[in-house]
Amino acid sequence: MENLIALKTNRIPWALKIRGVLTILVAIFIGVWFLTPLVLITISAFASPRDYYQIEKVIPTHFTVEHFHALFFELEGWQAMLNSLKVVGLTILFSFTVGLPASYALSRYKFRGKSFLKLSMLASRMFPVMILAIPLLIIYMKIGLSDTIYGVALAHTIMVLPLIILVSASILASVSVDYEEAAMIFGLSRIHAFLKITLPLALPGLVASAILAFIISWNEVFIATILNLTNRTLPAHIFRSAMDSPDYFKFTAGFIMSIPAVIFIFFVRKHLVTMWGISLK
Amino acid sequence: MTNVTIRGLCKYFDRVKAVDNLDLEIKAGEFIVLLGPSGCGKTTLLRCISGLERVTAGRVFFDDHDMTYLSPKGRDISMVFQNYAVWPHMRVEKNIAFPLKVKKFPQQEIKKRVAWASDLLRIEELLDRYPAQLSGGQRQRVAVARAIVVEPRVLLMDEPLSNLDALLRVRMRSEVKKLQQKLTVTTIYVTHDQVEAMTMGDRIAVFNQGMLQQVGISDVIYHNPANTFVAGFIGSPQMNFIEVEIESINNELYLRTKNLTIPLNDKFKAKVSEHSGIRNYILGIRPEHIYLTGQSKTYPVTKGKVYFLELLRSDTIIHLETEFGFLVVKEPGDLKLEENREIEVSFDLNRIHLFYEDTGNSIMT
Repeated sequence: MENLIALKTNRIPWALKIRGVLTILVAIFIGVWFLTPLVLITISAFASPRDYYQIEKVIPTHFTVEHFHALFFELEGWQAMLNSLKVVGLTILFSFTVGLPASYALSRYKFRGKSFLKLSMLASRMFPVMILAIPLLIIYMKIGLSDTIYGVALAHTIMVLPLIILVSASILASVSVDYEEAAMIFGLSRIHAFLKITLPLALPGLVASAILAFIISWNEVFIATILNLTNRTLPAHIFRSAMDSPDYFKFTAGFIMSIPAVIFIFFVRKHLVTMWGISLK
Repeated sequence: MTNVTIRGLCKYFDRVKAVDNLDLEIKAGEFIVLLGPSGCGKTTLLRCISGLERVTAGRVFFDDHDMTYLSPKGRDISMVFQNYAVWPHMRVEKNIAFPLKVKKFPQQEIKKRVAWASDLLRIEELLDRYPAQLSGGQRQRVAVARAIVVEPRVLLMDEPLSNLDALLRVRMRSEVKKLQQKLTVTTIYVTHDQVEAMTMGDRIAVFNQGMLQQVGISDVIYHNPANTFVAGFIGSPQMNFIEVEIESINNELYLRTKNLTIPLNDKFKAKVSEHSGIRNYILGIRPEHIYLTGQSKTYPVTKGKVYFLELLRSDTIIHLETEFGFLVVKEPGDLKLEENREIEVSFDLNRIHLFYEDTGNSIMT
């Protein structure tokens, strides 16, 4: 009798087993869903044209880096990529210079109209970019910002700023005020307390919100296409040139587009995990 | 050593009066405890003294220096926070050295002082660790070391022991007290724990609803509470309060209610006859000053039914149902009483407190 009970209690209930298996299946499904395009793009980007157009060959056997060479050097993709990196860098710089003080105020102070302010920041994102783009171009032409990377960076700053402010505010709020106040008690001014204590503690989260800015700016096509003619960013350049090219060129372009984001996220993914988690406590 | 003077201090949050017109004199080298229930304004007062909170009105002096509108960094103070606030991105050593570095102490002096403070708090072996690798008690020690390393003019402590487990709290109590005695630094200690206040404070300042209720040494606070709030807040279990009337029987004054008649103690007589117009008072008596009769018959007697027994084994707390309400009696040792039994109890006449019914103030003040 006792043995029977031991036997029974050692057994994992069916419901739990099924749930475990289901969890794994769902995880696999999600993984496949997101990774398949990436894999296909990667394979096709390196495929030699002959293999690519051979219908019966699902996975090509001959690979080449010829497309990359062509895209970068013959189609001036190299210059566009540099432009893109500059725009992304400037966008992050601008949006953090303006956004960080704002998010600090939102996270630390109570004041009248705070929630309205937050809402109105989001409201600026409700304007369709198409409507903004043409007036923006005209203004830029008047003040000499059109066809410069600064112009595009500024436009991207407008796009990412509300998100940076709101996300950073919640990250700063997760750093206990006590740390900052302790620093003030022990002889720092508020600004120094922020720089020496709060900023390092919030850094992982802030890096994560920088990724957000990176991805938005890196992938933005519309404004970049309209504002700039010669100094195009990578997506705008691809949009114009690569789309008229053979299919494998498009995959190469897609691969180039996704690689920096993948690398970037790979390096900061540890911080992405801690963004909402333990390390800030 | 610095004495701290607070004059007419007010702090309002919108319309809420957190601290209301407060005067307090803290002597140099004194360990004063601000005691009160949560939300009574004691922490707000501490933050006003630290400069983290800007006062609405009033003044804060360190010796003769007006500190009222100085930022915290100009005040030469230290603080121990309730949740330690030990910076998680710095090693323990860096945490302790931080206040010295900010104040630009020479490297040698910093080393010496960190060694001194960590030795005093017995955390030398933890210096290389990050706060996340420490237990709560160890983190608390680091926070205290960081606070004393600069030898501040005033040391502020905001419920520093309330996040520790019970055993550790008891041990840290004596350690903090000893440390303060050794350093003779003026210390302002906020707590809601009356035992901490009684055991640690040179003096205790009792707060309620933003107002100072009473300041004094623990002996005075316990035995001569200024009003019903202090009387009820200090002491466990709580003091019994009984509404009584003054009645004259054969030219002798008695405190009376339902089936309780107590002759007026000599020490009250002068005060009560002065106010012969007032008839209603509140009688206060602590549970440990009520005795089960059989031990002595010299005190006035009342009867009650045993409603509930708290068997603490060291003591027995008896809840009695009487005609004038519940009465709590504390008796040392293990008592065996069955519920619903009727028993007689007597009051220690010399331990009776008397308060005005309308104001709640003690008639002795």
